[in-house]
Amino acid sequence: MTVSQGSAPDFLDPGLGYTTQAANADWISYTGLLTYAHEAGTAGSKLIPGVATDLGKISPNGRVYVFTLRKGLVYSNGEPVHARDFAHTIERSIKLNWGGKSFFTGNIEGAEAFDKGQAHTISGITTNELTGQIVIKLLSPFGAFPNVLAFPSAALLPSNTPMTNLSNNPPPGVGPYMITNVVPNQSYSVVRNPKWSQDNIPGIPAGHVDIAVKINPNTQSEAERVLNNTADIFDWADTIPPSLLPQIESHASDRFAKESTVSNFFFFLNTQTKPFNSELARQAVVTGLDQRALSRLNSGFLAPGCFFLPPGMPGHPRGACPYGDPNAAPNIAKAKELVQRSGMAGTPVTVWSETRAPKREYATYYTNLLNQIGFKATQKVIADAQYFATIGNLSTNAQTGYANWSQDFPNPSDFYLLLDANSIQPQNNGNFSQVKDPHIQNELAVLNAVPTTKLASVVSRWEALDEYVARKAYVAVFGYGQQPKFFSDRIDFGAAVFHPVYGNDWTTIQLK
Amino acid sequence: MSVASGLPAAPAGREGATPGLGEVILGPGAVTPGLGPYRLAWRRLRGNRVALAFGLLFLAIALVSVLAPLYAHQIAKTGPDENHITETIKVGGRTLEVVSPGGIPIGPTWRSRFFLGADQNGRDIAVRLLYGGRNSLFIGAVATTITMVLAILVGLLSGYSRGPVDGVLSRAMDVLWAYPAVLLGVALGVVFALGGIDLGLFHLQGSSLLVPAVIVGVVYVPYVAKALRGQVLGLREREFVDAARAQGLGHVRIMLGEILPNLASTIVVLVPLMLANSILREASLSVRGAGVQPPSPSWGTMIAEGIRFIPAAIHTTLVPGIMLMLAVLGINVFGDGLRDALDPRARVRVGRSPVSAEIET
Amino acid sequence: MARFVARRLFSMVLVLFTISILTFLIFQAIPNGDPALRLAGRTATAPQIEDVRRQWGFDKPIYVQYARTMEKIIDGEVISYSQQQNVEQEVWRDLPVTISLALGAGILFLIFGVLFGVLSAITAGRTTDRALTVLAMFGISMPAFFLAAVMSYYLGYKWGIFPIGGYVKLTDDPWGWFTHLIMPWVSLAILQVGVYSRLLRSNILDTLGEDYVRTARAKGLSERRVLSRHVLRNSLIPVVSLWGLDLAALFGGGALLIEIVFDLHGVGQYAAESIGRLDVPPILVITMLTAFFVVLMSAITDILYAALDPRIRFS
Repeated sequence: MTVSQGSAPDFLDPGLGYTTQAANADWISYTGLLTYAHEAGTAGSKLIPGVATDLGKISPNGRVYVFTLRKGLVYSNGEPVHARDFAHTIERSIKLNWGGKSFFTGNIEGAEAFDKGQAHTISGITTNELTGQIVIKLLSPFGAFPNVLAFPSAALLPSNTPMTNLSNNPPPGVGPYMITNVVPNQSYSVVRNPKWSQDNIPGIPAGHVDIAVKINPNTQSEAERVLNNTADIFDWADTIPPSLLPQIESHASDRFAKESTVSNFFFFLNTQTKPFNSELARQAVVTGLDQRALSRLNSGFLAPGCFFLPPGMPGHPRGACPYGDPNAAPNIAKAKELVQRSGMAGTPVTVWSETRAPKREYATYYTNLLNQIGFKATQKVIADAQYFATIGNLSTNAQTGYANWSQDFPNPSDFYLLLDANSIQPQNNGNFSQVKDPHIQNELAVLNAVPTTKLASVVSRWEALDEYVARKAYVAVFGYGQQPKFFSDRIDFGAAVFHPVYGNDWTTIQLK
Repeated sequence: MSVASGLPAAPAGREGATPGLGEVILGPGAVTPGLGPYRLAWRRLRGNRVALAFGLLFLAIALVSVLAPLYAHQIAKTGPDENHITETIKVGGRTLEVVSPGGIPIGPTWRSRFFLGADQNGRDIAVRLLYGGRNSLFIGAVATTITMVLAILVGLLSGYSRGPVDGVLSRAMDVLWAYPAVLLGVALGVVFALGGIDLGLFHLQGSSLLVPAVIVGVVYVPYVAKALRGQVLGLREREFVDAARAQGLGHVRIMLGEILPNLASTIVVLVPLMLANSILREASLSVRGAGVQPPSPSWGTMIAEGIRFIPAAIHTTLVPGIMLMLAVLGINVFGDGLRDALDPRARVRVGRSPVSAEIET
Repeated sequence: MARFVARRLFSMVLVLFTISILTFLIFQAIPNGDPALRLAGRTATAPQIEDVRRQWGFDKPIYVQYARTMEKIIDGEVISYSQQQNVEQEVWRDLPVTISLALGAGILFLIFGVLFGVLSAITAGRTTDRALTVLAMFGISMPAFFLAAVMSYYLGYKWGIFPIGGYVKLTDDPWGWFTHLIMPWVSLAILQVGVYSRLLRSNILDTLGEDYVRTARAKGLSERRVLSRHVLRNSLIPVVSLWGLDLAALFGGGALLIEIVFDLHGVGQYAAESIGRLDVPPILVITMLTAFFVVLMSAITDILYAALDPRIRFS
């Protein structure tokens, strides 16, 4: 089986990997205390026990997690798994500066001190080799912590794994697959782990085929190869070039599908500066946006919607959109009137965007719209690598522009990081709209503490909060991401799972 | 010193040691007494209908670009930046979508609206083509001027003086060329996109059209300078230069008066090449934020944006590509004619009668 | 000759040194280009960014950073920011691809550039010349990546004549190497064929007007002999100097876009990806590599000048 991938994984080392390409290989080669069910749709968002025997016991105050390691587990090199390996893994990810390490340092007791070199171990993690018990103490309750434990970066590695980047020769792990033959930026293999039969964790399929991944930055030829069956799997995170789409839809409709991902696209609206400090001006933007147009710019791979939380994420509101049906033509006259009423007509606006298609095209459309409804908009396109650093720099004072978010894990708090007043910082600011709303803060204080495993009890409260955000028009959401599931003729299309967190689940790939 | 083949030393070459342009040695049978050299050249040029036609072609392209607003308002009835993504248009009784739900823009309708089709944002390509012509031709002209002027200076100084001056200049050119042109352009583009260039008296806004023009202009100096230096190295050993030196002419006069005219044909050839090149290179800067700022059009950016629609909407690249080709072709053929008119000996063809005679009849 | 080589070697070191400093400075000047921001990730907090800065030494004065990076480059230990891969290992691995691409394209554009140039000159003003002019203008007006994309689609995918992208090692499968590279070679060569043929045409026409050519003809030398011995030899000089430059730039990864279109995984592709990530170490190494080739090729072309035109002395 050949997988064609448009961009190389950032790091195949699970302690460092953060991109979807890395996660694709890592989550089936490295298993943490918890992991996700290998199912499509919302069923796949469900946490299941990984190397732990169960989902763990959480203390009533939400600060202590207790897990027990399964007995008799071995790594892909045949060595036994120890409880202490968990502590080593977390320490390693912190020392290697994993991109999401704040999930550890910000939550686990003593992790910050360890990071700063003030301690040799993390005081909040204690393990017992005899009982296999692992106890984790948190600084304060953090509801999404079970999801954090499911990150490949928290997946157990042997305690003797060196604290260096091992992407070219990934360490042994617990999982149905293992990563071998790495040629950086060119290719790697994900083959079945011969020791997996000894572990055989329930809910994790053994896998049917070995996978050879080739990095092909040209998505056009990537798609062509899958279309003519010289490659088997089109990387779900890549975009099918619009010019090939008609052919794929006509000639390969039985092995192509648009899959929804839990991600949103939006234009941020800076609430701290003119003109979008005016709620009416923000409403005007949301009223005027034509989502049908924006969807066409992404070759139709955009599901319409106006709420910040995407479908598939608990808390996505079921109600109607407050400022018009996103499937229909927008009310431009109303939008113009709102701009007039806001008193912001003629205000100069700079629209920021990245370079890569179709982001620049989104901004082009958006700039045209802002001018149409009464602002004086100009477009500013900057290099992808400096984009988030630029709009996330408070001194740029970016008024509006393109932004997006894809779930790290299925808990709404992951998205609300972008609307949390506490995440506003001078550099690397993620709250691009600079929303400082007491109501949001009060709600988050409660909701963020509810463990993911008990999310069902607060879903309606998340829905109410998300509806509130849509009414306030803090961001102009213009749709939710869709990605291609596109295989060669050889693969059993129906049996292959498109996972809500990790996309194509390679353990479910099988020949017809 | 003798010529490669051991032929007897030729008399002073070209405009050579004979001072004053009025006494240009003309090609066989072309001597027309009583006329100045430029009037003579003009006469010859006038006779070269092909060259004139192509020159006019270029002028016509420039002219319609200037008149872009007229076309936009009177015929297409849309501006260059106006998006019509979700609109429909009637073509021959059928209602077509300007951009399909799959994102493919409509091809040429050959009607007043979307005459040459639309782009991915549902903008009228014909309108953008004309507006883009203004930006592209401006950038092309400025960049080419910068390249040619600097390259001529460097090539002359370097090839003529040789020794340490050549060493320093040539290595400086090596440094500049060592950056793959795309890389240097992009790196500078990224730097200037946000900040602009500030060199004391000389300040450029990041969004100014001069930014890409200056970057592209400078980046290609080594390319042209090297070619010219090679020629100068050969020319400076020629007899007419020795003769000029013997006459006591200064170095500057020799360089400008004796050597430069002999570079004319190379320069005339390189100008259209550099023009095309700089118009295309601007696109790679635009996508990094240092070229023509979107949504403003330029031929280069139109081509670059259209690449991902090959083959389903190939008109998005072909239309600006062909326009660019016509413009460059116009300048090129006209330039050839101009050079032939100024220096008719170049027309002497292998074993035949002069071509000039053929064309003039 | 020994002095010539010694001087060129010295200046090569100087050029590499200058290049490295310039590159370092340019990337330092990029607004919001601080690599620590990218390395720390989109959700990093201010103290974490500070940590990354300290760990990578971005908090040190620029000359210290520069000296450290150069030291690592000389020791072959420099790693990229974005993927923490050994840069030089990657470059050495990719270099054969780029050299295959550059050499093939270089030979192609030299042969066809000269062929079309000569043909155009001896038919000056006639239909063949006009047709070749239009062709040359087409070549220079159509960006290489456009031709590459069109060829890749029709010849590669649609009609299946050539493989769709990828690279096969010469040592593994010479025929596969050849078929995989044909489209990249052609799309890369077309621009230069246009440039060289136009340049050569004009130089030949110039030289034909020279007195010594007329003298040679008057002496009764055959047209062929006049053309090959006297005209072509002199006309080739500027073309040769450009060929050296073009080749050097291609060796050093100048064919970024073509390598991407055909998924060749050469130095150019590595350069393009590194530019996209504003990853300074690979960019630094690759520009220095290019500079090495540029200086080398310019020394070679200087020797070639002397061979083509004995009046030019070594300087």
